Amino acid sequence: MTAGQDGRAFLVLDGLTRRFSGRPAVDGVSLSIPEGEFFTIVGPSGSGKSTLIRMLAGLERPDAGRILLRGADITAMPANRRPTCMVFQSLALFSHRSVGENIAFALKMRGVDAATRRARALELMELVRLPADYLDRPVTQCSGGERQRVALARALASDPEILFFDEPLSAIDYRLRKILEMEMKDLHARTGKTFLYITHSLEEAMVMSDRIAIMRAGRIVQIGPPREIYARPNSRFVAEFMGEVNVFAVRGGRIEGLDRPAAAQSGFLILRPEALRPLGPADHADVSFPARIETGYLLGSRSQLHLSALGRRLVAELPGAAAAELRPGQEGRWGFDLADAVVTPE
Amino acid sequence: MMRARGWLAALPMLTLLAAGFAAPIAIVAVTSLMPPRTFSLTGALALSNYLAAFTEGYWRPLMWSALGALATTAICLVLAWPTANALMRLGGRVATLVAILIALPIFISESVRLFGLSLFLMPGGGILAGTLNELFGIRIGSILNTRLAALIGLVYIHFPFVLFPLMLGLGLVPRDQVEAARDLGASGWQLFREIEAPLAAPGAAIGAMLCFVLALGANAEAAILGGRAVTVATQAIEQRFSYAQDWPQGAALTMLLVLITALVVIPLLRRVDLDRLIGR
Ligand SMILES: Nc1ncnc2c1ncn2[C@@H]1O[C@H](COP(=O)(O)OP(=O)(O)O)[C@@H](O)[C@H]1O
Ligand SMILES: [Mg+2]
Repeated sequence: MTAGQDGRAFLVLDGLTRRFSGRPAVDGVSLSIPEGEFFTIVGPSGSGKSTLIRMLAGLERPDAGRILLRGADITAMPANRRPTCMVFQSLALFSHRSVGENIAFALKMRGVDAATRRARALELMELVRLPADYLDRPVTQCSGGERQRVALARALASDPEILFFDEPLSAIDYRLRKILEMEMKDLHARTGKTFLYITHSLEEAMVMSDRIAIMRAGRIVQIGPPREIYARPNSRFVAEFMGEVNVFAVRGGRIEGLDRPAAAQSGFLILRPEALRPLGPADHADVSFPARIETGYLLGSRSQLHLSALGRRLVAELPGAAAAELRPGQEGRWGFDLADAVVTPE
Repeated sequence: MMRARGWLAALPMLTLLAAGFAAPIAIVAVTSLMPPRTFSLTGALALSNYLAAFTEGYWRPLMWSALGALATTAICLVLAWPTANALMRLGGRVATLVAILIALPIFISESVRLFGLSLFLMPGGGILAGTLNELFGIRIGSILNTRLAALIGLVYIHFPFVLFPLMLGLGLVPRDQVEAARDLGASGWQLFREIEAPLAAPGAAIGAMLCFVLALGANAEAAILGGRAVTVATQAIEQRFSYAQDWPQGAALTMLLVLITALVVIPLLRRVDLDRLIGR
């Protein structure tokens, strides 16, 4: 697919590159995002996510590459003219303005009259579930979750073609984050807008996204729907980014430590913790071995176990009930089916 | 107990303020109410000096000083804003160097600098006129000894007093809010009006106050660059005290100057959040 030729292409990044004192922070990123998609870019801290999204918003100038929106080249368009809007990591609410003034800021910039601005602010507050009496409250008096909603409403006020989010939930505690994740997804569905979301949490990305791109050191290493990223990581990096996994090296076409042929000459065999299971006397698995349980933790409805097996450590995850009788120190046979494992080339 | 100790700790400062600030002002205030051309503090109190200030033309120097201070403050703010912005954006060594170059002249006597400026502006063989004539054969007159020259001198002298507080103020404007405003469609002017100006206001206000108060009491600019074109308040006051030997009249003019200062400074101070500027 060439940039701009895909009929569905709404936002197209073509070889976007940004260097800081010679070192590339974003290194030739090409992407195509269809209209209305919830697209998430996930990567560890420092992988260039913020730099990428800042280039899209017009706050950072690319050293190379192009940005096309509906086929029009917006690479050189200044931030204030772009029909895009961003929710910042810090939220960047205007500290000297009220909730309503923050939300209606974009409208004021366009010369919309005060009464209309007020009415629109109230509408948006309803959309993001902020009580109407917050209108004249200083933003500095809002709680974390409320500020989040103000930032969202403010970004929506200008009716942008696409919304950018730079880790807006990273500073929010777990419970509230879960709620806001669902609200974000819901808002996406209700507004029908294109969302380009950035996070370092794959879990967050999984919950909300239509498609996910994994970013590493300025490059996109894998793109796909959440299910595919989870089931078929194309590298050890992506697999490990997803959470704890068991990695076996593959060399010369054989899986090291298991002494079995692999589907590839070299690379890694990735085994998710939930693919490992204890085997009863009558149970069968493609690969089985004796193992000893070292430690076990209860993770809500699931249990995580650390096993000593094959001369190394393995991580297993079982539903809470299945782990009920398992205790540290117990020895037994464990195993997995090769269909549940993935071989990656790198 | 704590309260008592607090007062005790404040005592040296309070004594200093009482002796060095409150007492002289009080003496001047009483003097201003004495009969004209007397030297005692025990005469009958009267407002005649204040009346004379307006009927005998002393309002002119007061007005020139106030107008000059206002104009200086406004011009300095307009010049300092983009300068401060550029210096903040530039950052690093170059910005420090430029800031030092702007600050250094403060350590040189004001009169010396003003005489320098006067040499520069002098007609005929002056630096500006002479150079233009010598190199390009252009003959120009001179603005020396005009109100404009005095105003240029005022701006030249007081610019750093606006620039540095303003830089401090602009440092308070969060970068992300500026970017958010841009992202939400603010043009350069809107960015200034909606974000930078309100958030940098404490710094701008401090700079403006310093500039206004200093310019209001300035006389070297008018004397050295303005020639006889304008008499400023401090010059008039000095004349009352020395040549005219009319201390009560001089004191009344002084009190009027203090009043103008208070009218400008107090409302500003009430509105400015000084705590924010010093990071509290
Ligand atoms: N303004 C800048 N100047 C210099 N280096 C920068 C700048 N912004 C980002 N970087 C560098 O670029 C890389 C990517 O940063 P960033 O885009 O913020 O990553 P992320 O958002 O994924 O954490 C980092 O190594 C960072 O240090
Ligand atoms: Mg970032």
